[in-house]
Amino acid sequence: MNSSRETLSDTLASWRVAPTSDPAFRSHVWERIRKRPDTPWTDYLRAHAAALSLVSVLALGAAAVGGGVIARSRVRADREAIVMTYLVDIDPRVQAAQKP
Amino acid sequence: MRNLLISAGLIAALACVAAYLGFRANSDPALHEAVAKGDTMEWLRTDFHLSAEQLAAVRRLHDSYSGTCDEHCRMIQEATQARQALEAAHGDPASIAAANERIQRMRAMCEGAIRVHVQKVAALMAPEDAKRYLALVLPKISKFDHKGAPDLRLNSSS
Repeated sequence: MNSSRETLSDTLASWRVAPTSDPAFRSHVWERIRKRPDTPWTDYLRAHAAALSLVSVLALGAAAVGGGVIARSRVRADREAIVMTYLVDIDPRVQAAQKP
Repeated sequence: MRNLLISAGLIAALACVAAYLGFRANSDPALHEAVAKGDTMEWLRTDFHLSAEQLAAVRRLHDSYSGTCDEHCRMIQEATQARQALEAAHGDPASIAAANERIQRMRAMCEGAIRVHVQKVAALMAPEDAKRYLALVLPKISKFDHKGAPDLRLNSSS
């Protein structure tokens, strides 16, 4: 028993590991990562349902409000422009000033 | 990453649709078209919900008023030319002041005539539309730039 233990100790003590460096180690790791099968989009949606729902509601709400604000601003500008045209039509003071 | 990009793209596309719907719901294509054409009668018709009869009555009113408007325009021009002639001839200050006063009187008379005309047009509209029309037009009449082309940047609160 003792003799075999000593033999193992000797073997371990004399054991030297000399690994050879692999220059392609990193690229092989990345290749394996790339080859990993993709999660299907539906699974991704299910996994992130809460976050994606919140982002969707916020984005769609902001977009709808933004579109409305732009439209109302254009309506205001249009109305101002047509009122000025209308007043030019009916205001002799402006017409007199515009004529040579 | 790919799934995130697909999700972001889908949300962006839906947001574009939402923005378009929001824009359409709040825009006024009839008003925009009237502005593009510079058609003030079309503006009155669409913005103040005039029926064909009401629009015809407004047109008649405008036609009859245009004679008065032309006459006032001529009188202001003559008074302005008279004052300019006085200034060019270095006339006495009292005469120039009198000419200025005459121009101001005419401007005031014009303003009164415009107000009467606008009130007549409003009387042809439904009460709510008339109120909105007067609120839009009357404040601008007294603040209109009398000395040159109107500034389109004016707004209703100015």
